[in-house]
Amino acid sequence: MAVVEHDRRGGDTGAHRPDGRRRPTRGPVASLVSFLGELLMTAGVVLGLFVVYSLWWTNLLADRAADRESDRVREQWEQEIEGAGVPGKLDTKDGIGFLHVPAMDDDQILVKKGTDPKVLDDGAAGYYTDPVRATLPTSGKNGNFSLAAHRDGHGAKFHNIHKIHEGDPVVFESKDRWYVYKVFEILPSTSKFDVGVLEKVPEKSGRKKPGKYITLTTCTPMYTSEHRYIVWGELVRVEPVDDRRTPPAEIRGS
Amino acid sequence: MYGWIWRHLPGNTWVKALLSLLLALAAVYVLFQYVFPWAEPLLPFGDATVDEQ
Repeated sequence: MAVVEHDRRGGDTGAHRPDGRRRPTRGPVASLVSFLGELLMTAGVVLGLFVVYSLWWTNLLADRAADRESDRVREQWEQEIEGAGVPGKLDTKDGIGFLHVPAMDDDQILVKKGTDPKVLDDGAAGYYTDPVRATLPTSGKNGNFSLAAHRDGHGAKFHNIHKIHEGDPVVFESKDRWYVYKVFEILPSTSKFDVGVLEKVPEKSGRKKPGKYITLTTCTPMYTSEHRYIVWGELVRVEPVDDRRTPPAEIRGS
Repeated sequence: MYGWIWRHLPGNTWVKALLSLLLALAAVYVLFQYVFPWAEPLLPFGDATVDEQ
């Protein structure tokens, strides 16, 4: 059997050597090309892994963190409602309540203070403190309850924001109240610098008078953050929370 | 590069294969735990807020 011992053209004859010990002889050009090829393949694999990380792994971590913090908020509420004397405050990490949006067919979304990556990456929706401070519904004042959450990765809590239509309910649950909002305007794409959408009276939505508004912001199109997607709602009703925390009609059975 | 690693791993083919797998897993761990969390804020894929910058 003829075995090619030495290939001067620089081909890799080392792959099937019978003894498996001798190093293959390769020209410098072939070595370089082979090395570059391996680097490119490695880069491809790393980018692929980054997609897996962004769209799957961060969701796992964020959902776990959000579930844990949600439980803590609910426990804290129970303690506060049951006994007047609070036996040591739990660290609820600024969790103020939950958002329920049946149109997005999500579970409850924990709402926390701030829109830093630290907050949003834990699978929560954050209310804006900057550049325009959100007006919390619990304050009872006129203003805009402006929120942000991730479209993809990190829990992707506003992933299905495009499924919200005008007239759909958005409900915010606090310790003792249900705040029922109704969506009246959607802006499918705007600049990421468009801070006007957060104003107390968000005039871009068409409303010119003070009122109790809610604004959901996230990125669009999906999987990038080139632009922002905005949904505006207006408060239509406030219901007290009963002993069993029966949800208002809008989100019952969702 | 990978050929060099393969030649320098000890043992027979099975041991080398096992060690290669462990090395690959270690690389994935380092990427997921340290590299990607570091790189993510630098890439324009995950911003959900409007702001003035």
